Amino acid sequence: MIKALVSLNMDLASSIALRYSCRLAEIIGMKLHTMHVEEVDKEGYSPGTGWVRSTWEKGLLQTSQEEILQLINTEKSSCPSLDAPIIRIGEREEELLHEIDDGSYDLFIEGVLHSFNAVNFYKKIQSKLYRYASCPIIIVKNLVDLNSIALLLGDDTDVRPLITSILKIFTKSELTVDLIHYTFQKFKGSVFREKVDDSKTPGRENGDKVLGKAEMMLSEMGCYPKDSWVIQDSPKKIADFLGGYGLVAAYIPSHSGMKNRLIELLSQVPSATLLCRR
Amino acid sequence: MRILVAVDQNPYSAHTVGEVAKLAANTWANVSLLGVQSKRVPKNEGSDAKTRSWKTDGPLPNVLSAYRDNFLSYFKEEDCPYTEREFGYKMIELRKGLWEELYVCKSAKKNFRALIRIGNPVKEILAEAKEEETDLIVLGCDTSQGCSWENNMAVPQKVANDAACSVLVAKKEKKVERIVCCLDHDRVSQQSLEMINQLVTLHSAKLTIVGFAESEGIKTRVEKKLDNVLRYYHERDIEPWIEIAELSSLDTFIAQEAQWGLMALWMGKMSILEKALPKSKVKKLIKGSESSVLILR
Repeated sequence: MIKALVSLNMDLASSIALRYSCRLAEIIGMKLHTMHVEEVDKEGYSPGTGWVRSTWEKGLLQTSQEEILQLINTEKSSCPSLDAPIIRIGEREEELLHEIDDGSYDLFIEGVLHSFNAVNFYKKIQSKLYRYASCPIIIVKNLVDLNSIALLLGDDTDVRPLITSILKIFTKSELTVDLIHYTFQKFKGSVFREKVDDSKTPGRENGDKVLGKAEMMLSEMGCYPKDSWVIQDSPKKIADFLGGYGLVAAYIPSHSGMKNRLIELLSQVPSATLLCRR
Repeated sequence: MRILVAVDQNPYSAHTVGEVAKLAANTWANVSLLGVQSKRVPKNEGSDAKTRSWKTDGPLPNVLSAYRDNFLSYFKEEDCPYTEREFGYKMIELRKGLWEELYVCKSAKKNFRALIRIGNPVKEILAEAKEEETDLIVLGCDTSQGCSWENNMAVPQKVANDAACSVLVAKKEKKVERIVCCLDHDRVSQQSLEMINQLVTLHSAKLTIVGFAESEGIKTRVEKKLDNVLRYYHERDIEPWIEIAELSSLDTFIAQEAQWGLMALWMGKMSILEKALPKSKVKKLIKGSESSVLILR
């Protein structure tokens, strides 16, 4: 069974992420574990030593646990399999990375509200947690219907890491999978969006090749994509198109720079986004 | 709910009447159709004094009559809440233990009126809305004429800015695929949320709720309100998207997101958008966008 860790805070993004995770768990048969890290400012972290510090930490843990339990209990009726949350005090990213490694999770999920300003998304992608997490990460931006998954493929090197991750997580589900090969429109260049079976616009040969390879990898494992698309457009237009999917998955190597236009695209996708980084 | 539909003789007004009829079928609102005969002489009709006088068999009354028929055609006769009078026998209890079958006249469940006022269109529309305590004014326009009415008057823009109630400027150029709803989460009324709910149902559209963040990020109380709005719609089987926009990029945001067919802006007194969006920007949005604009108050 897939084992997922859901990061929770007392905020709207976490509430949405938890509801989305519950829906996903029901569809793919996934065991959810929730975790909250109580971050304390460095100045305020150590009010004393020994008994004083230990008592202070216990109090902090108890308060956090009560708050997160309240959040979990709200969803309990629709997601009965939720256990008590893991609560830690410390540096959030460090604690989550430790837990992901120690618990051998297959998936990490957290909520990030969809923002018109992409800066927060860029920061997330560049964060230590996102670069070093040993499993794929789902960023839940909105509570969307989990009807279908879009696999975004830019070139040949994306195929193996992305398909391998997807097959590991979704192999037992009956979710519809679409393959999408994207290229970004160059200055005033042509735009197109067509299914592979439809007429071929010149310049999409590479897309056909990449999609063919992905299709073959999937079909070897008994998974057959419903549709395959080749799209050339601006990141915003591609993101708008992807809004119809319940999950958009992409491979972003850990060393990707800030100028990667795929990150710009993903920052504008309103659906949940699965990032595969290894 | 009281809806005032301001119409002229252009095709977009016919489209607007149809949209209101669909809305009224869901809400059973009291509806008034208002045509305004301008005192000004249209440039292309010369200065002949005869054109200034208003006639009951003139083009505006005829058009209004056609709009009325069109509006009522959206209702099945037996379900129509606007059927004026219905005569028939009905058992009435005269006093305890004594009933009598009386020939009675039932009035319409809801009011539907067709009116004409003479004067300046903006002033007359606003005056009618005030007198009748209208909740929503609906008017149409199209972008090909810069959203202007007769005599090049920017009626929709001025009404949207100056009305005390909510105003919907309906355009037919763009199908409503998604309603982008910029709400002030501190003050938004239940009635406004319900109106959005109706429009979502009417157009089978998706919904995006926009939360405004200050430079230091989204405030906890805004998040709580957003969560409440989200749950309100979930209970009605609507799954809205949430999007956060910074007030500093409000202009760009509105320009970009107006592509979806209907942009709803909460501009009640003391609201964030009332402060952040001056009248000139609202005018520009209504004039330039192919999407319909709903100003909620």
